[in-house]
Amino acid sequence: MFLDSSHAVHTRRAHVARIAAFSLLIGAGVAFGAEPKEWLERMNRALTTRNYVGVFTHVHGGRVETLRIIHRVRGRDVSERLQSLDGSGREFIREGNELICYFPDKRTVLVERRAPDGPLLGALPAIDEGDSLVYEIRGGERQRLLGRDTRVVALHPRDQYRYGYRLWIDEKTSMPLKTQLCDQSGEVIEQIVFSTIDLPERIPDSMFKPQMDASNYRWLRAERRVASNTAPALWEAMRLPPGFRMATRSAQAMPGSSEPVAHLVYTDGIASVSVFVEPRKPDSKPTEGPSRVGSSSAFSTVVDGHQITAVGEVPPTTVELIAKQVKASKAAAATEGLGLAPRRK
Amino acid sequence: MNEERDSQMSAMFDGELPGAECELLARRLTRDEALRAQWSRFSMIGAALRAERGVALHDRVAWKVQSAVAQEVTYGDGTVDAAITTTTRTSVAASAGSTGTSSVTRWARFARPVAGASIAAGVAAMSIFWLRVQDDPETILASNPVTESIVLAPESTGTVVAANTPQAAERAPSNGEPERYVTPAPSSSASIAPPARLANYVVAHSEYSGPLSRRMALLGLVATDPDAPPQAEPSPDAAGASDVP
Repeated sequence: MFLDSSHAVHTRRAHVARIAAFSLLIGAGVAFGAEPKEWLERMNRALTTRNYVGVFTHVHGGRVETLRIIHRVRGRDVSERLQSLDGSGREFIREGNELICYFPDKRTVLVERRAPDGPLLGALPAIDEGDSLVYEIRGGERQRLLGRDTRVVALHPRDQYRYGYRLWIDEKTSMPLKTQLCDQSGEVIEQIVFSTIDLPERIPDSMFKPQMDASNYRWLRAERRVASNTAPALWEAMRLPPGFRMATRSAQAMPGSSEPVAHLVYTDGIASVSVFVEPRKPDSKPTEGPSRVGSSSAFSTVVDGHQITAVGEVPPTTVELIAKQVKASKAAAATEGLGLAPRRK
Repeated sequence: MNEERDSQMSAMFDGELPGAECELLARRLTRDEALRAQWSRFSMIGAALRAERGVALHDRVAWKVQSAVAQEVTYGDGTVDAAITTTTRTSVAASAGSTGTSSVTRWARFARPVAGASIAAGVAAMSIFWLRVQDDPETILASNPVTESIVLAPESTGTVVAANTPQAAERAPSNGEPERYVTPAPSSSASIAPPARLANYVVAHSEYSGPLSRRMALLGLVATDPDAPPQAEPSPDAAGASDVP
């Protein structure tokens, strides 16, 4: 009896211990589940709100290139300079609402202007519950990366319509010291590794001057930007890949276009795809099919006399699917004549 | 001198270079283009040795290194060490232009675990990282007092986050833009080729991307080799996206 009682006590204690351990594990699991997301949010905050000057190696398609990035935030003003140090010599400088792209190898400068009432550049992407349906956020474990303590976080795509990221986030500054863009199978498509990074309190304007004298280059810029309130809601993608939703639409002037170009933006919270719709010039050759710029995919097609191009940092399948689904909505007929309606034959 | 530099760089990749030397070398990397190129070659060899999945390095030397290592048996086999040492010596000599016993030894150590892991996919430590001193006179201007600043957990270097407070407007720097510029005629004369239009789209798209994907999008334009062959097989009518703008 004594033995039985003792055994029962031990059994009960063991049971309680197991429950406690199980609870702890569940608790830890919840904590671990939340932590990677928290690190992603910290990283986004660091990338968008801090001043930094960094040199990094970019590996893509078998090429290795060294680039420098300078990022400055003053109130709502974001300035950024991305400079190739040993490759094309190209530079992109963003100040205020203008992004100026210097292509010394082409002796060309491209100027893109944002709408003044547009969203704050670098606005934090919201990582909400919906994202977990299309991405698995995992990791958060500590890993030493060349002398620094980092947290490794993986955004793994749950389907083939988006890329994933693997990030090594510095514990102390939340800056991503190493970034890998991966496909669904985990293959690395593109990689960025910082070799140096400063977090200065102030960055002088002089650091946003281009390295080259571009006064003799060909400057391309749109004459004006179309007010966003004139954006017609005529075009839309009838079907979208899982998780994608429309983020914004606008009409904007573009170099070489007499009429505003419809710009639709779709996002899954992490990745985004832009769709551009513009009336096709009668004597111009239509652009159709896939193409790539770095890790960005593009797909062009022609619908109702309009050139449709979808662009995004997503697999080629995704831009193709979206581009082929873009149609003029019913409202088009009523508002034809604004330049964005499909041409009737 | 080159030998010493090779040794330093390989020690850096091994994580064995003392912090102070690491910083000195890294500072030189930011200034010395030749050294940077050499460092890139080291990176490529490292990546080839590690056979990082998806990082397909076309460099022939790096490929030879990878092939040679992949043919070896297992870690711990004496022949492996010898083969790796030989292979590494060849590659370093070919790519960096100099060979030193110490650097070869380091590369051999660098390569061994990779061979043992059968070229396992893994993390390629392709560069070193450190945070420079906050008040580095080379990069920081004498700053005005800021109304708000956040001090991070103290680094030995005393890192301070940007204040991000509105400052008095500073004179905008000249960007070289002429007073008059070309506004492409919106006519049928194709003043912008389709690839340039694609570049334009990518730039416009980047304005609506998140911080990470925006960088990736712009990198595609900044780093695109104008002489590189197309990366995708376009349809007969497709835009040649590789030649941007």
